[in-house]
Amino acid sequence: MKDRELEKIIGVLGGKGLDREVGGLDPRWKELDAIARMMREEPAPEPPAGVAERAMARIRAHRPSPWKVLGEALLKPRTVSFDPIRALRAPVSGQECSFYFIMVGIFYAVLGLVLWVGLHVLGAFPAAPGWVRWQPPIALATAGCMAAIGLYLLKDGKLALRTARIGALVYLGVALFNGVVVSLEWSVPVSAYVSLLSALVGLPTGFFLIRTLQNYGKRYA
Amino acid sequence: MKQIDEGEIIGRVLGGDREAFAELVNAYKGPVFRLAFRMTGSDRDADDLTQEIFLRAFLSLGRFRTGQKFFPWLYTIGLNVIRNHLRKARAAAGEGSGTGGPDAADSGCSPAEAAMGRERSRRIQGYLMRLSPAVRETLVLRFYEGMSFEDIAGLTGDSSGSVKMKAYRGLEKIRAMMEEDGFGDDES
Repeated sequence: MKDRELEKIIGVLGGKGLDREVGGLDPRWKELDAIARMMREEPAPEPPAGVAERAMARIRAHRPSPWKVLGEALLKPRTVSFDPIRALRAPVSGQECSFYFIMVGIFYAVLGLVLWVGLHVLGAFPAAPGWVRWQPPIALATAGCMAAIGLYLLKDGKLALRTARIGALVYLGVALFNGVVVSLEWSVPVSAYVSLLSALVGLPTGFFLIRTLQNYGKRYA
Repeated sequence: MKQIDEGEIIGRVLGGDREAFAELVNAYKGPVFRLAFRMTGSDRDADDLTQEIFLRAFLSLGRFRTGQKFFPWLYTIGLNVIRNHLRKARAAAGEGSGTGGPDAADSGCSPAEAAMGRERSRRIQGYLMRLSPAVRETLVLRFYEGMSFEDIAGLTGDSSGSVKMKAYRGLEKIRAMMEEDGFGDDES
């Protein structure tokens, strides 16, 4: 029997069309049809009483692990308009604000790693003064704080906004202080570049974040 | 089954109203329980699995795409949960423990007929439990749930032709088992 014929017969097993399809063919098909019909005619089992309540009780009792919550917050697809110029002028959402903080966090994470690799792998670490040695952990800590504030802003609340404002002001202060101290401590020409980089990145970023937060705060005004 | 606006309910659940999910549970507990029962052959396992399937569906609701049909999506989750359960059960203690036929609602037949019906259900369920989960799943969806081969293919990810061949192989195995047990003639 060809595959197509076989499929056609299987398609009608347990239904009403078998006699039309196979007529006087192999009685084995009729046996299979009888088995299929027995299954079709089986009474449907009723779900036990209270199964819906038990399912809902499990749903109510379920508390996701903090890692799962964090993973979902990070991986959940979001639509965020990325328009920093508009963010300086018009009210923005908490999600957009959160996005800018997380972006700043990512920048500092990369910067921290580059500085850490630069100081350790290129052998500059032993010769570098104390404050310069602290630059990689400072950058990584900044990254962590910015990402944490960004995630907190996803909650879209007043407390998150207040925390973010304090965070942005502290960030601005640290960026300024860091730039000055590095240039004073390290009496080599490269310190000027480190200082310049810190100020060039820190000051506009800090002002941008503060301005964005002001525009976000207009939603609560 | 009561007509419900699934899209609206899902929107409410995603918006934080957990209790709205109860409407979906009530609407689909029957088919989900039936599937779990036919696949495990045990009332208790089917009860646990029904709860587990709804919990998984609730947790995965964020990934439910707008415009998608809820029931096939729920069924796919159900099949995955049941497959995992069967895999674990097989690893722990060999094949599943069929406990007999379903306690069907009273269909108005005589006690003797009802007893015969229960015996036949128990026997068929027993044969079903001796099949591989993939073949059993195909037979359950096709002959107990009355789904089309195309719909089954959509749920399992197989081609329609492959689903038909699984159904054929499953029926053929049951026929052979019945023949071995000496039940072949009285059923057909």
